[in-house]
Amino acid sequence: MTSSLTPATASGSGPHYKTAGQVRRRKLASRIMIYVAAIAVGLFAIFPLYWMAITAIKPQEEIITPDPVWWPSELVWDRFPQVIDRGFGRYLRNSLIVTLGTTAIGLVVATLAGYALARFRIPLRKYLALIVLATQLFPVVVLLIPLFIVMRNFGLTGSLWGLIVAYLAFITPLMIWILRGFFLSVPNEMEEAALIDGCTRFGAMRRVVLPLAGPGIAAVSIFAWIAAWNEFLFALTFVRNESLRTLPVGLAFFVEQERVDHGAIMAGSLLFTLPVVVFFLFVHKRLTTGLVAGAVKG
Amino acid sequence: MNQSRIPGRGGGPAVVSGPGPGEPAPSPPRPGRSWRRIFDDRIFPLLLIAPALLFIVGLVGFPVFRTAWLSFTDASGIRALTEGDMDFVGLANYAEIFSDPILRRSAITTVVFGLVCVVGTMVLGIAVALLLNQPFRGRTLLGVLVLLPWAIPHIAASFVWQWLFDGQYGVINWVFTSLGFAQFEDFSWFTEFYTAFAVVGIVVIWQSFPFVTIALLAGLQTIPADVIEASKLDGTNAWQRLRMITLPMLKPLLLVLVVISTIWDFKMFDQVWVLTGGGPARRTEVLSVSTYVEGITQSEWGMGAALAMVLFFILIAITIVYIKLIREEEQIS
Repeated sequence: MTSSLTPATASGSGPHYKTAGQVRRRKLASRIMIYVAAIAVGLFAIFPLYWMAITAIKPQEEIITPDPVWWPSELVWDRFPQVIDRGFGRYLRNSLIVTLGTTAIGLVVATLAGYALARFRIPLRKYLALIVLATQLFPVVVLLIPLFIVMRNFGLTGSLWGLIVAYLAFITPLMIWILRGFFLSVPNEMEEAALIDGCTRFGAMRRVVLPLAGPGIAAVSIFAWIAAWNEFLFALTFVRNESLRTLPVGLAFFVEQERVDHGAIMAGSLLFTLPVVVFFLFVHKRLTTGLVAGAVKG
Repeated sequence: MNQSRIPGRGGGPAVVSGPGPGEPAPSPPRPGRSWRRIFDDRIFPLLLIAPALLFIVGLVGFPVFRTAWLSFTDASGIRALTEGDMDFVGLANYAEIFSDPILRRSAITTVVFGLVCVVGTMVLGIAVALLLNQPFRGRTLLGVLVLLPWAIPHIAASFVWQWLFDGQYGVINWVFTSLGFAQFEDFSWFTEFYTAFAVVGIVVIWQSFPFVTIALLAGLQTIPADVIEASKLDGTNAWQRLRMITLPMLKPLLLVLVVISTIWDFKMFDQVWVLTGGGPARRTEVLSVSTYVEGITQSEWGMGAALAMVLFFILIAITIVYIKLIREEEQIS
């Protein structure tokens, strides 16, 4: 490239004029670089998920081979019913109970609180917002030991309720925070109009604000659902009963037993992963802006 | 919705623009309504917030203070729980963390490895955001693909990467071996400290860069195009524009992302637990894993609580440093 430069530009003084051919060649080069980078990033992002799915449906001899098989010669679907029989059916049920319980309770509590924080001058309101943010700062392991002790003393380690309660501890604050943002974006005038028309405060909230904040509420529910579905540390600690294991813990113990059955391990992982991925793609935008906006405002 | 609004407006335009909630009404309230008004403005909000307060105080506030208290005691075993059989030992647990080789190593690993992960996450996140900000075919598709690692549960992601890095049948070893690095044949990644953490680091960065990318991409689109155009006319190159215009304009957002990534990466438990299990010989523990091992597995409640508190203090300290840094720089410029 330097060979075709005029002496003036080569010495570095004055702007850098290029011929049309150079411009075109540079553009082509940068386009190629962009595509190479895009393909590399895409492969890095997607390949592990692809490999999980493909390993789950490969014949055994194409898994246990030093030379990887990129596409299976035949598709083996039996592993899914097999792993469901080997405990994943129960784990799936437990996970569903815990996630639905957490989401439902968290949603009611967080909707009420988020609305109150967005609309009323509650004493200590400023500090409440700060507390909500602070709960995001400290590691959940800080809660681990005291909650474990409380659960033991109340005998909750033998039921899924212990897990639901523990999840509410770290999921509700963030739900409150994000919902408060949604309620703030609903104009106050509408509610006041409803109040003048004779609605009570609660009536105005239920008939006017909640429907308008509907998409936000849906997004927050999915967020809570994903957080509870994925959680591992509390589930590992609080559930001492094998029949009450949730999916991540069940998967971890399954892997410990079946070290070499990579096909079954990947089938179980896929069953665990797919529902989250589907839900996640619906809500990622709101989740990102919710997290960032909450932090910036705070 | 609009229709219900119009009669309200027509009925009392002065009131609509008038009092916010919690302010006294301008006109004297009718006697029958005044009690309702007090309920609506004073009691109702407290009723709304009460359950959440109960949760936050009971499930977060109480445990945090209890952990802080336990960390100054030698509580261990079942008797400490049932009969409160424990002694106040002051800072002995904290002293032990910094003298015990395993726990000290765990604390140092948490900080060093956490920072490496944050830097990796930010660099990759920024780079991919800049890439996605370029016009090219398939950009939307790549935007979705890049999200997927964030969506995958940590546990499942760890198991896939464990399989990818498998000694005998892993794809990674096959790639290295085919490229001519014969020493990677049957190479075991998880038995050595540095290689094990290299894998954990890749998994952590793989899962946390999408969040940075997506948040930054939204931020990049708020930078006015004419600023970039003007600097192009001034003869800047792409690197200068990134360093002098794009990154400074995104600084508040970048700071938030760094803080959030730090909080996430320092807390990591799942990936380390699955990929190394803290072993061999507890050499690859991070603080959250040590908390679990000491506090839950070995029932050393006091020690576990102290480890959790150390992690808490580290996070607070780092967050304060970040905030200080950004404040100072704002004052200079």
